[in-house]
Amino acid sequence: MRTRTARAFGAVALLMAILLPAAAAPAGAANDKVLRLGVLQSLDSMNPYGTALVVGYEVFELNFQQMVGFGSDLEPVPDFAASFERAADKHSWTFKFRPDMKWSDGQPATSADACFSWQLALDAIAADTNIGLGYLDPALKNAGVTKVECPDATTMIATTDDNSSRILQTYLPIIPKHIWGKYTYETIAEDKLFEPPADGKGLVGSGPYQAVEWKTGEFVRFKKNPNYAVNKGFEDEIIIRFFSSNDTMVQALKAGELDYARTISADQFKALANEPNVTTVNGASNGWTELGFNTYGTGTGKTIKGGGPSTKALQDPAFRDALGYAIDKQKLVDSVIGGYGAIGTTQIAPVLKAWHVEPTQVRTFDIEMAKQKLDAAGYKTDASGARLDKENKPINLRLVMPDSDANFAKDAQFIVDWFGQVGVKVTPKVYDEDTLIDLMLPPEAGDPVKYKADYDMFIWTWSWGPDPSDSLQVFNCDQIGSSSDSLWCNKDYDALYQQQLVAPDDAARLAILTQMQQMWYEQAPYHVLYYDDNLHAYRTDKFAGWKNQPANGTPLFSYSILGETLLTDATAATATPAAPSTAASAATSAQPSAAPTTGSSTSSGMTPILLVVAALVVIVAVGLTLSRRRRGTAEEE
Amino acid sequence: MTASAAARPTLRGERLRLRLRDLRRFTRRYWGRTDGVIGLAILVIFAALAIAPDLFVGRLETVTTASAPPLAPPGGTHLFGSDELGRDMLNLTVHGARISMIIGLMATFITVVLGAAIGIASGYVGGWVDNVLMRITDFFLVLPTFVLAVILAPLILELVGDDAEVVGIKATLIVIVVVIGLTSWATTARIIRSQTLSVKRRMFVDRARVIGGGSRHIMASHILPNVMNLVVANAVLTFAGAVFTETTLSFIGLGDPFQPSWGQILFAAEAAGAPGLGAWWYIVPPATSVVLVILSFTLVGNALDEILNPRSRVRR
Amino acid sequence: MSPRYLARRLVQAVLTVLFVVLLNFILFRMMPGSPERVLLRNPHLTAATMQAARERWGLDKAKFPVSISFDPPGISLEPENQLFDYVAASFQGDLGYSLQFRGRSVVDVIEERFWPTILLIGLAEIVAIVVGLGLGAYTGWRRGGVADRIGNGLSLIVYSMPYFVIGMPLIIIFAAELHWFPTSGMSTPGQDYASLVDRFVDIGSHLVLPLATISLGLIGGYSILMRSSIIETRAEDYVTTARAKGLSDRRIMTAHAFPNALLPTVTIVAINLGYVVAGAITAEIVFNWPGLGTLTVDALKARDYPLLQGVFLLLSVTVVFANLIADVLYGFLDPRVRT
Repeated sequence: MRTRTARAFGAVALLMAILLPAAAAPAGAANDKVLRLGVLQSLDSMNPYGTALVVGYEVFELNFQQMVGFGSDLEPVPDFAASFERAADKHSWTFKFRPDMKWSDGQPATSADACFSWQLALDAIAADTNIGLGYLDPALKNAGVTKVECPDATTMIATTDDNSSRILQTYLPIIPKHIWGKYTYETIAEDKLFEPPADGKGLVGSGPYQAVEWKTGEFVRFKKNPNYAVNKGFEDEIIIRFFSSNDTMVQALKAGELDYARTISADQFKALANEPNVTTVNGASNGWTELGFNTYGTGTGKTIKGGGPSTKALQDPAFRDALGYAIDKQKLVDSVIGGYGAIGTTQIAPVLKAWHVEPTQVRTFDIEMAKQKLDAAGYKTDASGARLDKENKPINLRLVMPDSDANFAKDAQFIVDWFGQVGVKVTPKVYDEDTLIDLMLPPEAGDPVKYKADYDMFIWTWSWGPDPSDSLQVFNCDQIGSSSDSLWCNKDYDALYQQQLVAPDDAARLAILTQMQQMWYEQAPYHVLYYDDNLHAYRTDKFAGWKNQPANGTPLFSYSILGETLLTDATAATATPAAPSTAASAATSAQPSAAPTTGSSTSSGMTPILLVVAALVVIVAVGLTLSRRRRGTAEEE
Repeated sequence: MTASAAARPTLRGERLRLRLRDLRRFTRRYWGRTDGVIGLAILVIFAALAIAPDLFVGRLETVTTASAPPLAPPGGTHLFGSDELGRDMLNLTVHGARISMIIGLMATFITVVLGAAIGIASGYVGGWVDNVLMRITDFFLVLPTFVLAVILAPLILELVGDDAEVVGIKATLIVIVVVIGLTSWATTARIIRSQTLSVKRRMFVDRARVIGGGSRHIMASHILPNVMNLVVANAVLTFAGAVFTETTLSFIGLGDPFQPSWGQILFAAEAAGAPGLGAWWYIVPPATSVVLVILSFTLVGNALDEILNPRSRVRR
Repeated sequence: MSPRYLARRLVQAVLTVLFVVLLNFILFRMMPGSPERVLLRNPHLTAATMQAARERWGLDKAKFPVSISFDPPGISLEPENQLFDYVAASFQGDLGYSLQFRGRSVVDVIEERFWPTILLIGLAEIVAIVVGLGLGAYTGWRRGGVADRIGNGLSLIVYSMPYFVIGMPLIIIFAAELHWFPTSGMSTPGQDYASLVDRFVDIGSHLVLPLATISLGLIGGYSILMRSSIIETRAEDYVTTARAKGLSDRRIMTAHAFPNALLPTVTIVAINLGYVVAGAITAEIVFNWPGLGTLTVDALKARDYPLLQGVFLLLSVTVVFANLIADVLYGFLDPRVRT
């Protein structure tokens, strides 16, 4: 018996021996040249055409170049194209490529690749469909591109019927034709196509870093592209880690396991300000959080059987306007987002300073004013103080929101209280995003039995690309049944939208946009609650050279991956002695790593799982048998 | 409730006298168990908080009635500090008691009623009924409860509808109640069935059958009282499990942010990054409450179980 | 242990699995929210793209072999339906494609997350069984003593703690403040290990805190179980006999009481295996451990039906067969069990 006990202790000791050295080893990363980023998303696809997440964009932007990039002030800068020029007649653009440009695998990168990549999108547009999820190809459609030609290896000419310079803002990766040449706009969207090859050399691209490894739910890893010419990043590797809890992510940042954390909470942001070697940045975002109304029937007079808004008051701009006075937006900014943001007004965020125009008269928080306006608009109160609609029914609004952001529920609690003060009862409810989308879609989405737009108000959020057309578009009549969630329809607005697309110059466009913003604010299909800042944080003890893009934005996860290519060595800059491990780890990371390949294990399928299940079963069986034998011995004795 | 007592020929009065004697004996034995008494004491305190939270801490604070600065540490007028919206943690925790305990109570009710009904029916009727019911029970017994609960939650929400409300508890929480109930009745049913089998074999049931009692009558007035001890002991343990499950489900985000149960408060704390901010006062009160309530129910349940059911063994 | 009993238990297990497969299908098809809707938040999508997405994921087919419509009333047979597809594919080990991780098969995704969970739960079980059963046996044998009071009290307390309640303070103390261990994850991502030892050390250091969390949670339950089992065994005749024969207390404990108390305990531990995996979900979330737990929650948030189905099926099958084996072995070992 004694020996058996000893053996058990031996096993425990062995386990300890395995685990304990870990305790001695400092947690956190060595001072190597690996940039580690943390995000609260889990990469869904490596395929540029198949991702719906910010992190997915970051991944393909690191891997592939765009035709034209964004500079520090969002100005167009050379990327895949070395130069770009508009023809005098404004109907075409000429893009020139460097003759010596190479893909990461050493193959020459030429106009053939550019033409191939853009032609894929044009083919999809011609077929009236999209590539994959359809986020990327509309860029060319909106830019009015009708044709691309490549007369020689260093030139591409794009024909366009659009007056704007939107063609310089396309998020459309230039992919190598020598690898993807046999794919069409239909087949290129197949999801597994762009996964990093098992050879560890990385997914061939011309961007600054190539993906070498993706572990779902854990991280994606990039290696520096030796053939990348524009800006050379200091770091040899980039790792983007996926987190499911922002607390865990912030802990990792504090512990030095991360160099950058995207989207943290306001309280964390404040606390991190006191953390040594950590810099926090609140970048103005091109997006907002809104309180939207279900205005279904506005402009069309249609109703939905068994659904739609619960009162016609929601279709009345005067009603929506009055409620706008019962929202203390400053209070929301202070309490819910910790002061990191601006109160909301129009549907073009102030970060687009060239296009954002404040309305002539901004609503202020004034409960009495709200009551007066409701009275004036014909919404009387009953004996109990409840507001009645024009059918003399008490107004009881159902406020819905997704569970994707805990702040929505906080906003909702304020709204319930404030609207209650003017006699409008509000019942808040949280849904998961998919259920909510199903709940909010109108019959126009295709299935009149399933889609009934059965809600009154919602709190949700949007974020947009660099062109203001994006955020203007969702309020068009033709978006009902698609992206419109206020289900608002106004023919004048639609006409203005079309006009601004083809405005002869920026001044003319701004005049139209001013009109659209004023009209939209007065009509108030939404009350934009606030333009919430992006709260990011990064460490300064390993990397220096952090630069916001644009100046009031964030260094990374902005409009492009410029920030990743501007970093420098913080230890060299501050002249502090480098940690002893620097040289060694730099040496190891310089040579191609024997990265654990995922390819070999993924092919084997279900068998290993079954084997382990079988092994567990055997272990249980052995355990039981052993105990039986012992029992036998016990009885003999 | 010994076999000899039950086998003795009885009149109604005689039986009552025996019951009272049993009760006295039970009470004496219960008071002799320190753990049971401690558990009961904690339980009484939390029950009081749950029944009348307004009495102790006033109405539930909302964002607009928040009385403290955001994330204020404990001290002064706010003994437990405040959350990130400035709501008093003591207020939230005490009101959380009500929501958590009501969920636990309702879930336990479903579990016990379902489990007892199926267990008794299965054990008493026997034959193919027993067979079918026990196969279903086995099925629910082997399903990974928690994963099933996670999966069932949105489905049940769809079924009960958005606007349903039972004794002031909204649909979203009913979902959790039903999920817990549906996934935990099987254990109860198993235990009750085996007890029913042993009760059935005793003489008085045969006698009742001879004098012409119907099945339903026998089950209700002879079997049920005799398995009641077990039902009660089991219910108390189920309650502990229900609070545990509720906390966990809310923590992974399946709760209702407008009705702060303890699990929901912990979820909010995690979302606000409280652990990393060192805002321990945001976590400790609800977490301690959860642990205390589960602990007290376990203590009481174990004490009951051991007193009422001498052959019982603690099983999870 | 008659062959008939064996056969019956086997048939039962297979039926249960079939039932799980059916339930799986029905549950998930009844769920609100359709995955292709996620795409609709994209303002640029055309109808053709939507249709293509539906077709690719098989969502355009009828759900069940028989469809009943009320308007107009009628019943029609649907030879092409999602149910038949699903059952047939399930038995071929093809669990379809994940919606969330676009283009990856469910089996691939589960497999990637399966090993971390097995590593974590496996080690946690070993630690918990060794420590928990040891503690339970000791406190049970010394029933009523100081060690029993303290040990059993602590066991009850940790038994009452959800995993995340145990895990949160561990992170704050040992990772965020003391920096002894990393805060989260399973390994330092992208690390190029110089040797196998380095790799073990790295994974080991990430493993300590989640392992401690789950072990602690399990130790409570196991020790309570073992304690009551020992207490029961103490009263058995053979222990009294051994005592009468003048064997030392220690000898009686190790040679007689412990092995006998072990049997029912180990059986329950085996049966609990599936629950432990599911229960570890919150521990995995707190530590960002890339296992089945975080996968389940991610899949739920993304309404990734095929993936949820896969996880549920895997866990159910594991539990069903662990139960079967435990039952059968128990039947072999304990001649009283014959039903």
